[in-house]
Amino acid sequence: MEARKKAASFLTYLLLAVSFVLFVFPFFLMLVNSFKNNGEILESPFSLPHSLDFGRFAEVIDKMNFFVSFRNTVVITFLSVLFIGIFAAMTAYYMVRRPTKFNNGLFALMVASMIIPFQSIMIPLIYIYGAKLHWIDAAPIPLLIILYIGFGSALSIFMYHGFVKSIPYELEEASLLDGCTRPQTFFKIVLPMLAPTSVTIAILNVLWIWNDYLLPSLVLTKEQDFTMPIKMKVFNGTYMNNWELLIPALLLTILPVLVAYLFGQRYIIRGVSQGAIK
Amino acid sequence: MKKTLALFLVFLMAVSLTACGGSNESGSSASGSPEAGSKDGKVSIIITNGKGEIATQWEQAAKDFMAANPDIEVEAISQAVGDTVNLLDKLTASGKTVTMAMMAPDSIVNKYKDFGVDLSGEKWNADTVYGVKDASGKVAGFPFSIEGFGLVYNKSVVEKATGGTFDPYSINTRDKLKALFDKIQASGVKYPVAYQTENWSVANHYSTQFLNQAEDPSTIVEQLKAGTFDLASNPVWNGYYDTMDLLASPQYNKYGERPLGKYYDDAHLSVGKGESAILFNGNWAFDSLKAVSGESFGFIPVPVDNNPDNPLNNKIAAGPTNILVINKAATPAEQDAAKKFLNWIVYDQKGQDFLVNQAQIVSAFKNNPNKVTNPLGAAIAEAVQAGKTLPFSSNYVKVEDWGNILAPDIQKYIAKKESRTDLAKVIENYFKTQK
Amino acid sequence: MITEKSRLKSLGNQLFFTGPTIIFFALAVLIPFAYGLYLTLTDMTSPINPIKFSGFGNYKTAFMDTAFWESMWLTVEFVVATVLIINILGFILAFLVTSGVRMQNFFRTSLFTPNLIGGLILGYIWQFIFVQTLPSIGDKLGIEWLRLGWLGDEHLAFWAIVIVTIWQSAGYMMIIFVAGLINVPKDVMEASTIDGANAWQRLRNVTLPLMVPSFVVTVFLTLKNAFMVYDVNYSLTAGGPYGSTTMVSMHVVQKAFSENIYGVGQAEAIMLFVIVAVITGLQVYFSKKMEVAA
Repeated sequence: MEARKKAASFLTYLLLAVSFVLFVFPFFLMLVNSFKNNGEILESPFSLPHSLDFGRFAEVIDKMNFFVSFRNTVVITFLSVLFIGIFAAMTAYYMVRRPTKFNNGLFALMVASMIIPFQSIMIPLIYIYGAKLHWIDAAPIPLLIILYIGFGSALSIFMYHGFVKSIPYELEEASLLDGCTRPQTFFKIVLPMLAPTSVTIAILNVLWIWNDYLLPSLVLTKEQDFTMPIKMKVFNGTYMNNWELLIPALLLTILPVLVAYLFGQRYIIRGVSQGAIK
Repeated sequence: MKKTLALFLVFLMAVSLTACGGSNESGSSASGSPEAGSKDGKVSIIITNGKGEIATQWEQAAKDFMAANPDIEVEAISQAVGDTVNLLDKLTASGKTVTMAMMAPDSIVNKYKDFGVDLSGEKWNADTVYGVKDASGKVAGFPFSIEGFGLVYNKSVVEKATGGTFDPYSINTRDKLKALFDKIQASGVKYPVAYQTENWSVANHYSTQFLNQAEDPSTIVEQLKAGTFDLASNPVWNGYYDTMDLLASPQYNKYGERPLGKYYDDAHLSVGKGESAILFNGNWAFDSLKAVSGESFGFIPVPVDNNPDNPLNNKIAAGPTNILVINKAATPAEQDAAKKFLNWIVYDQKGQDFLVNQAQIVSAFKNNPNKVTNPLGAAIAEAVQAGKTLPFSSNYVKVEDWGNILAPDIQKYIAKKESRTDLAKVIENYFKTQK
Repeated sequence: MITEKSRLKSLGNQLFFTGPTIIFFALAVLIPFAYGLYLTLTDMTSPINPIKFSGFGNYKTAFMDTAFWESMWLTVEFVVATVLIINILGFILAFLVTSGVRMQNFFRTSLFTPNLIGGLILGYIWQFIFVQTLPSIGDKLGIEWLRLGWLGDEHLAFWAIVIVTIWQSAGYMMIIFVAGLINVPKDVMEASTIDGANAWQRLRNVTLPLMVPSFVVTVFLTLKNAFMVYDVNYSLTAGGPYGSTTMVSMHVVQKAFSENIYGVGQAEAIMLFVIVAVITGLQVYFSKKMEVAA
C-alpha cells in the first residue's frame, strides 16, 4: 500500500513537472528575452541574456505612461469584476431557486449571448455609445465598466448556476423561517458558501478584463484613460514589432495578475475550510 | 422589504458613485490638457495617422504645428497596428468628423471615393509629381510617404561575390540575375535568395508589377475589368512569374523545398546576417534588417525578361503609399486648417524635419533638403531623383482583395499546386466581378 | 422552491436579484446586437457610408459564399480536434494539482500562464518553434517529416493551430475544474473509501457525477472558443498557406472589415452565431439535465 502510494505521488510529480515545463516555457522565454535587444531576440530567442540590464524596463515604464495606465487598468478591472461577481451570484441564485419561465428564458438568452461574435457588435457599440449617446466622450471609463458588467455576467451566471444547485436548500429554509428576508438569506447564508466559486469566477474575469484589448480600444480615445494593453500597442510596427520593448511591457502587465492569483489561491483554501466547518 | 429596498439603493449608489468618480476624474484631467482649453475662435481639427510606428512623431508634429499656429487646435490620433476596425471608420461611426485622414492611395478611388476634397489648387502640387488623383482625375491625396520595393540585397555579400563595387542597375535581365545568383553561390553562400512569401508581398506587390507595362497602369485594370486583357498570353505577366520561379526555386531559395510558411523574420535574419543575399521586399525591410546587422543594403530592379533595354528591367517600383485626404464633411475653416498643416509639412523647416529626419520617411517633395539615414529609404530617394522609378503598382488595385482573395491562389502557384494558366483565369475572373 | 406569499414581495425579489443584471446585459449585449441585426439588412460597404435598407440580400450573398462554408467545415474539424483533448487534459491537470502534492499553488499558477500571454507574443514564440526550432531538431536528428517548417504545409499548419490552442486553453479549463474538485465534499469521499471503493470507482461514482456542473461549463466554453477561434489563427498562420487554414471567424472579419462588404460580413457573423447557438444550446440543455441537485 505504502509503495503504491509512493509510486502514485512520484507519478503525480513527474506529470506535473512535464506539464510545468511545457506550459511555463513561454513565460520563461519572455523573462529571458526582456533583457535582450531586437537582434538577439530574433536571432536566438532561447539563449540566456548577456546581462541583466533593466534599462528597457525603465524605458517601457516611461513610454507606456505606466503608472497612469496601471491605475486605469486596476480601477476598471476591480470595479467590473466586483460588480459582475455580486450581480451574477444574485441572478444565478434566483434563477436556480425560482425557475419560472421568465427566469429560464433569461438564462437561455444569456447563455446564447456568449456565442455572439464580438466583431458583429463592435460597430453597433461605437455607433450607439458614440454617435447617439456620446458616452464615449463624456464618461469612457464608467461606460467601459458598464459594458464589462454586461458582457461578463453571462459566463459568471452560467458558472454560478451549476454550483448554486449543489447548495443544500435546508440551510436557507432555516434562515427564512427565522424571519430573514430572501436578500438577507442570500447575503448571510448563500454568498459565503459560494466563496470558492466566486474566487474562481473573479480570477477568470480578472484574466479577461486585465488583458482585454478589443473593448477598451473601441471605447477609450483619450491618452489619460488608456489601459495597459492599449498603451502596449505603441511597440507594434506594421512590418516589424519592437520586441525589445514589447516583451518587457507584457511582463510588467501580467506580473500583477500572477501575484494576485497566488494570493487568491490562499483565499480559495481558506474558503473551503470554512465551508467544511459549517 | 425596507431592507431590500435599502440594499438595492446601496447598489445603485455604488454604481452611480463609481460613475461620478470616473467622469470627474477624466473631466478634471481633460481640462488640464490643451484640447479642452480651446477658446472661441479657435479651429479644432482631428488628423489621423495610419502608420502606428510613427505615432510619437505624429503627436510631436501636431504639437510643433500648434506652436506655430496658435489659432488651430490639433488632435492627432494614430491607428494601432493590427486593429480590426480602421481608425477612420471607428471615429466616424462614433460620431466624430475626422478632418484629415491618412489612407492607402487606392482608397480614394475605391472605399473612400466620396470622401476627399479637391486639392489640385494647392501650392505644393508644384513641388511634387506624386499627388494622387481621385476617380474624376483631380488631385485629392497629399503624398505623405514614398516607398518602393524590389530585390533587397546585402551589399557586402554581393560585393564579395562580384568582386569590387556593385551597381544594382547592372542587373537588367533575368539571365544576369541568374548569373549573379551563381556567383553568390560560388562565393560560398549556399542559398543566395531567402524568398519570403507573405500574402501582401506575393500578391499586392509582386503580382501587380505587370500593370507597369502600360504608361498608366489603370488602363490595364480597365481592360481586365472589361475582360479584354488576356493574361496567359501576355509576355510581361508571364515574365514576372518566370522570375518568381527563379526566386523560389530550390536551387537558389533557402525555402525552396517548402516555399510557403511564415518565413518573414527568418528571411530578414538570413539576409541581414549575410547567410543569404537577396529577398523581395520594400524599404520597410530595413526595420527588420537593422535589428541583426550593421550592413548596408540596396535595391536591384526585378527583371521581367532578357531585354536589357526594357524600362521595366531598369527601374524600381516606387510611389506614394500613404496619402492624406481632407474630409468633405468638415467645415471650410477646418479644411483650411488641415491644408495649412499640409503646407507646414512641405514648407516649414520643422515640418520637413518631422517627415524625413524624425519619421524617416522618403519625402515626395523636391524642396525637402533632408535625407533619410536608412539605406533602403536612401536608395528609393536616389531612384526618385534619378527618375528610375515605375509606379507603385499596388496602388492601382484593391489591396485588401488581393491580399485576401487572390493571394491564396498566387501562393498555390508558388507551392506548385496551381498552374499558371489557372492562376491567370482566377485573376481574370476576379476582375470581371469588379464594377 | 421559493413560495413568496405576496405577489408584490415576489416582484420585489425578482427586481432585486435580476434587475441589475438585466439592465447591464441589455446595455452591453441586447441593444447593440439588435442594432447589429438591423445592419445585416442594409447594404453597408463600410461603417462610414450612409445606411441604405436592402432586405435579405446580404444573407443570400452569404449563403452562396462557398468560402464561408469551407471555412466553417474546417472550423468543425478544428472543434472536433480540440474540445475533447482540452477537457481531458484540463481535468487531469486539475486532478493533479488538487491531489495534495506540495507546491500545488505554485503549479496551479504556473499552468495557466499561457493564457496570460496574448495572441501576438504567443504567435511569435510558436512561429519561431514551428518555423525554426522543430526543423533544426529534425535536421540534427535526421527526422524527415520534421525537417521543414510546419506552417508551409496545410495539414501541419492546421495541427500547429490545434496544438497551440490546446496548450493555451488547458490551464484555463483547469481552473474551472479545480473549483469543482474543491467543492466535492470530503466526507462523501471518505465514506466511499471506507465502503471499500478503489480510486477508479471513487472517481467514476463520486467525483465525476459531482463534477457535471464544471463539465457543463468547460465543454460549453471549449466548444464556443473553438468555433470562434481567431487570435491564434491570425497570429500563427494568418490563414496560410494559401488560405488553407482560414477559420470561419477570420473569414467573417476579412469580409466585414477588410474586403469592405460590411453587411455581408455581418450577415455571416449572424449565421455563425445561429449555428453555434444551436450546437451549444443542445449541449447545455442535455448536460444540465445530468446535474445533481443537492
